[in-house]
Amino acid sequence: MNDLERDIARLIIETLALEHLGVDDIAPDQPLFGQGLGLDSVDALELALALQNRYGLKIASDSRDARRHFETVRSLALYVQASGSACAS
Amino acid sequence: MIDLHIDAWRAWAPGIDDAADWAAWAAAPHPVVDRGEQPACDFVPAMQRRRLSRLARIVMHTAWPLCGDDEQVPFVFASRHGETTHTFAMLDDIGREAPLSPTRFGLSVHNAIAGQWSILRGQRGESVAIAGEADTFEHAVVEATALLGEGASAAIVVVAEELPAKAYDGWIDDVPFSYTLALRVSLAGGGPRWRLSLGENTGATPAAGEPHALRFIRALHHGATLDHPWKTRRWTWQPIA
Repeated sequence: MNDLERDIARLIIETLALEHLGVDDIAPDQPLFGQGLGLDSVDALELALALQNRYGLKIASDSRDARRHFETVRSLALYVQASGSACAS
Repeated sequence: MIDLHIDAWRAWAPGIDDAADWAAWAAAPHPVVDRGEQPACDFVPAMQRRRLSRLARIVMHTAWPLCGDDEQVPFVFASRHGETTHTFAMLDDIGREAPLSPTRFGLSVHNAIAGQWSILRGQRGESVAIAGEADTFEHAVVEATALLGEGASAAIVVVAEELPAKAYDGWIDDVPFSYTLALRVSLAGGGPRWRLSLGENTGATPAAGEPHALRFIRALHHGATLDHPWKTRRWTWQPIA
């Protein structure tokens, strides 16, 4: 897991109150929603807001790509990198 | 006038939890200091537990054992002030022109805890969420009795309040600490019978002081009549032999 992936995993844990998990419990390629980590649609909204606050990402709720970006920690990290604002802290 | 059986009850306040704690408190009330402690609720899976606010936790902690896994029991949630912690945090966000947390917003509505109860306990029947004045407890019991009158064999009534943020000082004067009282009531159960009647209050409304639902716990222990005047209403609780 690279630094950005760890950062995103930490953000997911803190934002979604996953107090029973540590950063290393979320594998970068583990599906976040449904059968994977078990997040739901409310979590998706909450996470989108947190990503916007932290990385300045704008994610339109009707974006066809949003589902793909939110699949795993790794896909989120790639999306943050591609958006070119991964240096925010 | 309402006659009902109180077949079971549970209550929680900081440092006062099980039946022995409450019996001791009823015999000799002592000041309660709220340090933000909350029940663990470890009977709720972690993924669901993360969405339980402190208010929701004290409700689940007390009400949970009052409902069997294999029965459907109507649920009345009553709170005069509701989720003040969520509300205050959102007002703060609005003041800073920050976007609101969707989770916080969803969980701040008055029937959120009744909804969580329904989901966690697989309850598909009636549930009611009410907010009243200082006599919210009595109104909740009236509500439960109406559900019993419609044919439910039992109902669960929970009155719960959380100590609000400092900013509410001077606005909320009847929640000196967080507490909850959960009752399981029926028209023909085996528990002690109580009569609740409503008359007209011609005297003054007393100062807030001790939470009224906790006064009722003392009355339960002593089998004593309890008077509750509030504005134009005067509620009387009487044990019936």
